[in-house]
Amino acid sequence: MSKFTFPSIKETNDLSSLRLEVRGFISECINNNEFVPAADSWVFAADPEFSRKLGSKGWLGMSFPKQYGGNERTALERYVVTEELLASGAPVAAHWIADRQSGSQILRYGTEKQKSSIIPKISSGECFFAIGMSEPDSGSDLASVKTKATKTATGWNLEGRKIWSTGAHLCNYMIVLARTGPPSEKNRHEGLSQFLVDLSLPNVNIKGIPDMTGQRHFNETLFDNVQLSEDALLGEEGKGWSQVVGELALERSGPERFLSHFTLLDRFINEFRNKLLKSGSNIIGKLIAELQTLRRMSFSIASMLQNGESPETQAAFVKELGNKFEKTMIETLREFSNIIPLYEWPNQLQNLFEDATLRIPSNSLRGGTTEIMKGIIARQLGLR
Amino acid sequence: MNEELAIILETASKIFNKHVNHDLRQFIDKENINLINLWNDIEEQGLSRIIVKEKFNGSGLPFSFILPLIKMSNNFGTPLPFSETILSNYLLSESDINPPNGIVTFATDGVDINITNNKISGNLRSIPFLNLTDKIILITEIKNIKNIILLHNTSEKLEPKKNFLAEPRFDLQIKNCEIIDIKPLNSKVDFNHLGALMRSAQMIGSMEKALDLSIDYCSQRKQFGRTLSKFQAIQHQISEMAVELSASSAALSAVGNIDETNNNIQDIAILKIRAGIAAGKIIAISHQVHGAIGFTQEYELAYFTRNLNSWRNDFGNENFWETLLGKKFLENSNQNLWEYLTY
Repeated sequence: MSKFTFPSIKETNDLSSLRLEVRGFISECINNNEFVPAADSWVFAADPEFSRKLGSKGWLGMSFPKQYGGNERTALERYVVTEELLASGAPVAAHWIADRQSGSQILRYGTEKQKSSIIPKISSGECFFAIGMSEPDSGSDLASVKTKATKTATGWNLEGRKIWSTGAHLCNYMIVLARTGPPSEKNRHEGLSQFLVDLSLPNVNIKGIPDMTGQRHFNETLFDNVQLSEDALLGEEGKGWSQVVGELALERSGPERFLSHFTLLDRFINEFRNKLLKSGSNIIGKLIAELQTLRRMSFSIASMLQNGESPETQAAFVKELGNKFEKTMIETLREFSNIIPLYEWPNQLQNLFEDATLRIPSNSLRGGTTEIMKGIIARQLGLR
Repeated sequence: MNEELAIILETASKIFNKHVNHDLRQFIDKENINLINLWNDIEEQGLSRIIVKEKFNGSGLPFSFILPLIKMSNNFGTPLPFSETILSNYLLSESDINPPNGIVTFATDGVDINITNNKISGNLRSIPFLNLTDKIILITEIKNIKNIILLHNTSEKLEPKKNFLAEPRFDLQIKNCEIIDIKPLNSKVDFNHLGALMRSAQMIGSMEKALDLSIDYCSQRKQFGRTLSKFQAIQHQISEMAVELSASSAALSAVGNIDETNNNIQDIAILKIRAGIAAGKIIAISHQVHGAIGFTQEYELAYFTRNLNSWRNDFGNENFWETLLGKKFLENSNQNLWEYLTY
């Protein structure tokens, strides 16, 4: 077990002052009514204007090289900024995926042209990305994707469909995982490649799918013989699987796996502090213990990423534990309504609580299900 | 890892490897020559005095060094009051009392304590391993000042408590018992907090072992024509153990050196809560995946789970620390939760 350690990383004074700077900026935005704190804001609250503002502050593409418009700051600095944004329920959905994983993926595998044309726009909050992994017939079994890219005289022909692509209707690009060759008999992960697909191309059709909360963020994206140029290929042909695995570590390890509904907890405590002090100190203490531990684990992973390690398994630990924490947290607040009935909660708090309750089933689905996380961990324990 | 610490851990693991096995645990008694040999090796290598001051023949190393050492001793399932001695020696040394040689244990609590003419009377509660030593420390308040007392037990009539059939533990009534030394307690962290920290490190070592035993067992045991480890229902249960364990380990590594941080109480509370929650799950799952064999004396899993049952209740259970942590935060109404967490 000793190989899955989470070394303790202390927050330096520099990081703490960056934290306060971001916090000051956010409270100014809230005071100016630029946004209303939302639950699950990294999925549900997209505001391109706010994203551009963050870009101009230097808080997007933070760790990207300066030559591509980045800020060459550390993964720990990025961690601190994202935590502050999530904890305040800021509208970060528009840029979230581009800043979290797509940019890094392009920097790692992209050509010079891809990097210089796209990365600066991610850093300035002007270029947004969607994830192109799941398909109608491929969810947890990602290697079974059927979307196909075939070589043509000028590049590639893309044929297929991607689904659950959050925010695709607001995005400029999607990184699409597609089959470029057959799987080998021994290895079904062979023959997959990643493509940088410009969503404004002809024959790309994005259709919204309302989710059970009545909101639109889900999409189905159809590629009906879309003609891609040669340089749409991201990384190496046939190496899509190993590329996508690295991307998933970025996707699973961050604080959005346990801070999605923090703004609900925060308001709940501010509202009922005295009542809680009388009869609920223990439930708050328990949530603090779980949350603080998750923060430390996730921060520790940020430092592993900074050191160039590949903490895919550790990311699965954080995602699994974080998903569980959020569900428990909402359930804990629900049980508290025994003491103060829901209808006596202030409207805004009640709305946040209901949003969270409706949205929570998705937290252990998106980014890989609980079952997939447990499978990853079991494999690393030598059980599979 | 610090080089000096790495050497200490290597020395310790050699000693534990040489002496500790399931047979040794069956007979935790002064007469057990193998147990005596184990202790002699531990003491000879100075492992019970690594954070004792140098003027008392200790190594004077940082406090944080004992956490991985204690964790390791219980990963091996060492049936001795190794951590109790380390903690007692530390508190004695910090309070300027030369720790005696040999095993030292502590009383978790003292009731109706009366001290006259360098003799002590009263009821000492929950003393681990009193069958192996006659040296006990007691932390007690005298005129609003916390004192540390090193005393010498002469009572022969010792009746162990049930204590979940884990390591031997005793209550003791003393009358005019000789005090070897008494000094005002000098410790940056409360005795109960240190106890919670020590028990958490012990739990994590034992939980690692319960997980490893479960993985090994399920990888060998065949049913329905395949090993248990190939069943997804089993894989997912064992994954859950690993998740719980990794969270506890992360909480332990956050405590670090108690001399350096001023946030000790929060860190220790979080650790004891996290380890206590994990222990409950790991006890249940490790037994579930082992089937009946894990429920026997002859197989070693139960040694570890019985200790987990005992330790998760020591020095405050989860609810105790959750209440303390929650209160401490809620009472300060000037601070919202995010400010508190990121302070």
